[in-house]
Amino acid sequence: MSDLLNSLLREARLWQGHRQHAISHSPEPTGFPMLDGQLGGLGWPRGALSECLLEAAGIGELQLVLPLVRRLTHTQRTVFWVNPPFIPYAPALAREGVNLDQLVVIETESPQDTLWTLENCLRSPVTGLVMAWPERLASRDIRRLQLAAEAGQSTCILFRHRHEANQSSPAALRLELVPGSDLSIQVNILKRRGGWPGQNCILPMETRAGQAGGDPSARILQGPWPDPRS
Amino acid sequence: MLWLYLHFHHLLLDHIARSREDQAPLAIISEPSRRVLQACPRAMHQGIRPGIPLKTALNLAPELVMVQADDEQQKRILEQQAQWLYRYMDRITLYPPDGLLAEAGSLRRLYGGLPQLREQLTRALEERCLNTTITTGSTPMAARLLARAGMPIFTGEQQLLKEHLEQLPLEHAGFEPATVQRLVRLGLSRLGEVAALPAAELARRLAPETLVHLQKVQGQRPDPQSCWQPPRHFHQQADFGLAVEKTQGLLFALRRILVELENDLLHRQQDTDSLVLILRHHQQAPTRMRIRTTGPEHRAEAFLNLLRIRLEQQPLVAPVESLELTVTRFLERHTPADGDLLGDGVDQEEAWHTLVSRLQARLGEQTIRHLAPAADHRPERAWNAREIRDRSRSTREADVEHLPLRPLWLMRQPQPLRVVPDTWFAGPERISGGWWDGEKVLRDYYIARLPEGQLAWVYRDCHDGWFVHGWFG
Repeated sequence: MSDLLNSLLREARLWQGHRQHAISHSPEPTGFPMLDGQLGGLGWPRGALSECLLEAAGIGELQLVLPLVRRLTHTQRTVFWVNPPFIPYAPALAREGVNLDQLVVIETESPQDTLWTLENCLRSPVTGLVMAWPERLASRDIRRLQLAAEAGQSTCILFRHRHEANQSSPAALRLELVPGSDLSIQVNILKRRGGWPGQNCILPMETRAGQAGGDPSARILQGPWPDPRS
Repeated sequence: MLWLYLHFHHLLLDHIARSREDQAPLAIISEPSRRVLQACPRAMHQGIRPGIPLKTALNLAPELVMVQADDEQQKRILEQQAQWLYRYMDRITLYPPDGLLAEAGSLRRLYGGLPQLREQLTRALEERCLNTTITTGSTPMAARLLARAGMPIFTGEQQLLKEHLEQLPLEHAGFEPATVQRLVRLGLSRLGEVAALPAAELARRLAPETLVHLQKVQGQRPDPQSCWQPPRHFHQQADFGLAVEKTQGLLFALRRILVELENDLLHRQQDTDSLVLILRHHQQAPTRMRIRTTGPEHRAEAFLNLLRIRLEQQPLVAPVESLELTVTRFLERHTPADGDLLGDGVDQEEAWHTLVSRLQARLGEQTIRHLAPAADHRPERAWNAREIRDRSRSTREADVEHLPLRPLWLMRQPQPLRVVPDTWFAGPERISGGWWDGEKVLRDYYIARLPEGQLAWVYRDCHDGWFVHGWFG
């Protein structure tokens, strides 16, 4: 087979019916064994775009990427936050063990600047991860970012609104994040490279409320509200 | 002792021609007489000669770019030349507006002979497109007169120099015009003939100053020279003659100056991280820009990229008549500590500086920030953002164990809580502080899950109002 075909197979860009190939790309594990299993050992793809589609912030979406951020910042790779919707809170990040020296927050004014910034960050060899909350992205723009991520071999995660889920996108990995009944988060895989989509898994995220399960109301001393148990 | 003199034929013209991207003919005009003083070769080709009236010149070449003669400006340009010449020679004396003197005896030894010295100088001058006559002389004055007379003699032999000096026509000998006239009336035409006259008679019949001048030329009277000191800062100016309207025209001139800066930094063995660019407009306040890199830099290409981004972002407010580039901050040159020997790998530090400098140039310095925790009880003050300047400093290891539980997202402004949370997880955590600086805070914080599934950090203030202050993202 030609080199081109070989490389396509190796990077799992060509899907081969029944044969599921192990990917030779060094993957970025998500840090959640259950999710890694569902993704076929791929984790967050390097040199490609990923999308997280969610309704509103605060459902545990940062917890999902936190293991990656923690790992990258400690291996001296820079993590960029482009136009975050709220302030990434430094004391909380420090508590989670993130190396804040490798964290850079960028605010842009116009969509052109955003795109330019993302492209430049993705192409740079210092970049480990770019997280972006873009307002609106055309399919053409996503393709440009995809090429930039490929050139720089960096990971890019776009956080977009859930209603973009039925739009097609050139991103290599698309995850839909839905809050679970308790503190957990349900991850639906809408698209992934080298395999069927459609898997889902539920990841427990209790630690973000500062506890490991148990009766939640036991922690509350006495609130001003009517007794939740009554 | 041997002296060396550089006479620039038309310094102002050469200077402007180098800054201009187009090939328009140039002429220097004198404002009071409205006549052409100097013309560049292209203008000469179109028939413009020094001395012709301005109107005639404009008829000959309608696209002629005219520059007013300005001695102050020319003096500044001369100093710019001295700056780079200082790499080739020390002990420079400026002779404004168009000449430069240097002591050549020591240079001869340094370069291993006069021909080598001349070759080096000629090459450097040609690189900068400067029309120059270089001569030597046994006295400063003799070298200057020979150069200005256009006698390109370059030798160390005293006898030959003396012969040339004797052949110098009187009108080039640097006497007062009235003196020259009297001498010509006496039937003298060469400097040698005047020198042959008895000194006492010369002083008595003409003027003592004439004798002093002659003796200085011959070396019989001391003629001390004051040495020029190079400035500590780098400063270069480009003048355009006709105002430039497009950014492209500026970049053309900037590229040349930046290459000059790169050479200058190379000789200083230093780097810099900030440039100041001043664009001067006609009858308008000049535009001042400060271009900063995050790390020490010396490459012209890197500076040019940043300037290009900045100029694209910031349109010109008016056509630019001249630009100045100044560097006052010099840094030790950085040596990569752990770079590989063959230089194959990408220098991470350098790549980082390049990226951040690019982003800062386009987006502004305030928009790219690092985050850090701050020591304050109030959540909105327990963090700060700072500009990225240097990454080399290391922050202290935070005591992770003792940090309280905080949300990953903090709202810029607390928002009123509009829905009733369906589950309460932790609380209350009372935060009370700020009485010392007038921004008093008295709140009870709870962690609660909203009906849409978001985990919020809510608080109740002392007026029983409920607010969301962050999200546990």
